Amino acid sequence: MNGKRITLWLIVILLVGGAIWGVMRAAKNSASTGTGDLAVAVSETDWKTGSANPKVVLVEYADFECPACAAYHPVVKQMVAEFPNDLQFVYRHFPLKQIHQHAELAAVVAEAAGKQGKFWEMHDILMTRQSEWAGNRTAQGFFVGYIQSLGLDLDKFKADLADREIKKKISDSYNSGVRSGVQGTPTFFLNGERLVSNPRNPEEFRTLIKAAIAGGATSTPATTMATSSVTR
Amino acid sequence: MAKNERLFGAASAILSFIGFLDAAYLTAKHYIGGALPCLITSGCDTVTTSAYSALFGIPIALFGALYYLSVFIAAIVLLDSGSRFARYYIFLATPFGFLVSLWLIYLQAFVLNAFCSYCLLSAATSTLLFILSLLWRRNLARK
Repeated sequence: MNGKRITLWLIVILLVGGAIWGVMRAAKNSASTGTGDLAVAVSETDWKTGSANPKVVLVEYADFECPACAAYHPVVKQMVAEFPNDLQFVYRHFPLKQIHQHAELAAVVAEAAGKQGKFWEMHDILMTRQSEWAGNRTAQGFFVGYIQSLGLDLDKFKADLADREIKKKISDSYNSGVRSGVQGTPTFFLNGERLVSNPRNPEEFRTLIKAAIAGGATSTPATTMATSSVTR
Repeated sequence: MAKNERLFGAASAILSFIGFLDAAYLTAKHYIGGALPCLITSGCDTVTTSAYSALFGIPIALFGALYYLSVFIAAIVLLDSGSRFARYYIFLATPFGFLVSLWLIYLQAFVLNAFCSYCLLSAATSTLLFILSLLWRRNLARK
């Protein structure tokens, strides 16, 4: 009887210990998701600017209400301007809803502007004038002002704000970021490879892009190649 | 020990062990960090990083893990020795676990507007444990 009891409790201890060990391992594994590569390749539904036939694709996961994203905005614009033939820039939404109350609405606003062909214009306004509306209770008023200043059709815009497709696009974008191991914003991917640390100034950014251009087509990851053949 | 009691004990042990795995995973995630891949629902990290995810700086998931572990051990003690105290403990603890789950579901549905699949799994196990303890009580009263 006693031997049976000892066996039972040994099994229980092993089971609980094993469970804790397994759970810790699983949690650690998913913390360092994958190899740091872009999980969802650039496709037709992405917002792209810069070269139409690029050697280098820069993907940014960002949140319109994140101060660091606004700080990087002029740098990214400068890079796009400096490499008009070789660099394509792709913007993906990664709204950090839990810390930025208007992040998701701002993403919706940009997408709705995109429905009227003014995504990048709205993107620029939201980034450059972030200090006006971020964390501001009257952010919506500012958004309406931006919409008007871009000469967008307000009625169509309002209808698009409720569009489920837009919400889905934003959450798909967010989820693709999670799958690619994005944990904060902004996170950049250069030719599908995550930049482990963000470049601290335009000079560092330029060096990285030049290196990627020099690396040329051979270093283009398979993911990007695969989509081009799928989407075209 | 009555056959029924053995059945209830075993079912409680299994359910609480599942709940323990789930809550322990969330606790580990809380301390290790990193984005939480969501299985069915969306918004796991909205929920698990919200202000409601911790109490006095201790993650809710850790309370949950300890709760499930205690029910699991009580169920094993009951299976092992038929201890009345273990049975009372399960009767006392499971309604409490159920109420906490209701509160957490309410927060997800009406405050955070996001559901987390791991939290829903935990709500399911704690609800089943509670229902099981009710059935068990009825079964005992009938005798």
